[in-house]
Amino acid sequence: MSTPNKPLIQIKDVVIGIPHKRRPTLIIVDKANFDINYGEMVGIVGESGSGKTMICRTMIGTLERRGGKILSGEVIFEGQNLATASDATWKNLRGKSIGYVPQSALAGPNPVLTIEAQLTEALRNTGDTKNIKARSKELLDLVKIRRVDTVMKQYPYQLSGGMRQRVMIACALATSPKLLIADEPTTGLDVTVQSQIMDLLKEIRSTMGTAIVLISHDLALIDEVCDRVVVMHAGATVEVGSVKELEKPRHPYTIALNSSRIDIAKPGSELVTIKGNAPSVGEWNLGCRFAERCSIVQSDCKVGVHPELIGASGTHQSACIHTELLERI
Amino acid sequence: MYPHRTLGANLMAEFLLEAKNVSVTFGSGSTKVEAVKNCSLTLRSGEPIGIVGESGSGKSTLARVLAGLQAPTEGEIFFNGEPVYKGSKSYTGEARRQVQMVFQDPYGSLNPQLTGLNAVAEAVRIHDKTNKDESENRALELLRRMGIAELDAIKKPRQLSGGQRQRVSVARALSANPTVLLADEPTSAIDQSAQAQLLNLFRGLLDDGLSIVLVSHDLGVIRYLTQRVYVMKDGVFVESGITEEIFNDPLEDYTKLLLASIPGDLGVAARRKLNKN
Repeated sequence: MSTPNKPLIQIKDVVIGIPHKRRPTLIIVDKANFDINYGEMVGIVGESGSGKTMICRTMIGTLERRGGKILSGEVIFEGQNLATASDATWKNLRGKSIGYVPQSALAGPNPVLTIEAQLTEALRNTGDTKNIKARSKELLDLVKIRRVDTVMKQYPYQLSGGMRQRVMIACALATSPKLLIADEPTTGLDVTVQSQIMDLLKEIRSTMGTAIVLISHDLALIDEVCDRVVVMHAGATVEVGSVKELEKPRHPYTIALNSSRIDIAKPGSELVTIKGNAPSVGEWNLGCRFAERCSIVQSDCKVGVHPELIGASGTHQSACIHTELLERI
Repeated sequence: MYPHRTLGANLMAEFLLEAKNVSVTFGSGSTKVEAVKNCSLTLRSGEPIGIVGESGSGKSTLARVLAGLQAPTEGEIFFNGEPVYKGSKSYTGEARRQVQMVFQDPYGSLNPQLTGLNAVAEAVRIHDKTNKDESENRALELLRRMGIAELDAIKKPRQLSGGQRQRVSVARALSANPTVLLADEPTSAIDQSAQAQLLNLFRGLLDDGLSIVLVSHDLGVIRYLTQRVYVMKDGVFVESGITEEIFNDPLEDYTKLLLASIPGDLGVAARRKLNKN
């Protein structure tokens, strides 16, 4: 792994909104703060609607074509601020230094192109057009696809979900990216396939030194494969720390998420659920956005703006201003 | 909820729901697919059982057969000792309301034009032949039981979260006052905290005496909720038995592999065993 503990990409106070012609801009992410180091595997967890995918899109520069906009804050990738980057800059980064594996493996690949054609397209992107066929085969080998020659001639519909996701990973790896973003790469796939894909990602990380961002709402999965975890709730990062540090969470939301895990629950016992629903976009209350659902809420939690992460970057950070009360939960 | 209806003459039937040597074949000739091969399954009253397997193993097809939506090519299904498929019909008479199904994708199985309240009230009207007001009252009561407040009950599916939508579908299934609930991957489209809510609800229903057949590829959910489990692979049951025993001491290689694939602590022990061999 090259130069560990040096940030590859830094998300600093990012605010993302969706502008509207008549109504005021809808803020969907506010106070997102975290770093991803070289060669590190970081998991982003949170409920649906917590802004995980939006953060993902800012890191691959596809936010604007989906109607979103970075209103303030910085996304620093190797010293370059991507929040204000031009299309030309993105063209040199997206699919080159930053790879992306989409959520839906079944809809990911282009249905009318053979696997060979898709890989060729990805490889041409590197600027080196020599030996494309041989390099395509190498890539398929890398993602552990057997019968490479047959698969090259096949169309996505002829492959299983796991195989399609492997092809998507191969495409993303074509340019040996420094950062690979995987947005719920195993949703809808079987557990056996999921564990194979995770093994593959771990191997890619250790052999190629690629930093990997894994977005998921499965805490057990993140615990197992990642080095660090970023917990998001209602558009803000509420806790950041290593997997080990998060065994002793310092934010009530993380504690609640942990206790709703069924993999550690006793069969038939009452599962702890998080009170209420995550606040909808545009309906955030004053102060901490988790306050309405929090079991240790205090009067000063509901005033002002959402609290900042407390603690230095790279250490165990939490956005709870009453960590001294956590023992009561 | 209503007290469960008496089951009539066949109260003494040993199994509430029973599948005997069921096979389902789709297509013919070279495109013939044997989705379910010679599967037998039993469900006692008030019992939660699970069917687990990978996608394509035939578990959804079997669930559809049990629900009366897909006639088996061979074999028979008995509900309360009576054959379910009679000629071209299935679940005739009183039996029809007693077996209800919850589908995997709540967004696809709810009418986008109807509010949660209307969707459930419609089902109540069909089953109970009541008037509008009465059906709406009962629908509201069912929804409240599922943790959907009146304010959310008058929202359309697109305004609800995934977990809420799934709870509306469960309320709709319960409107028939069933004795058996077939749930096909009810938790796979919703996130973790919503999943915990739904499982708590299922546990409450079990306490009320409902029998549940849970079809899932998520072994965590199966372990949590069911007492017995059938492990399915390529249309065949490879292993079945008490859930806890199967999780602690799987006999088949396929079951071992499935268990070892679970992320987190559950899978760690299974993985250690698998590596030892």
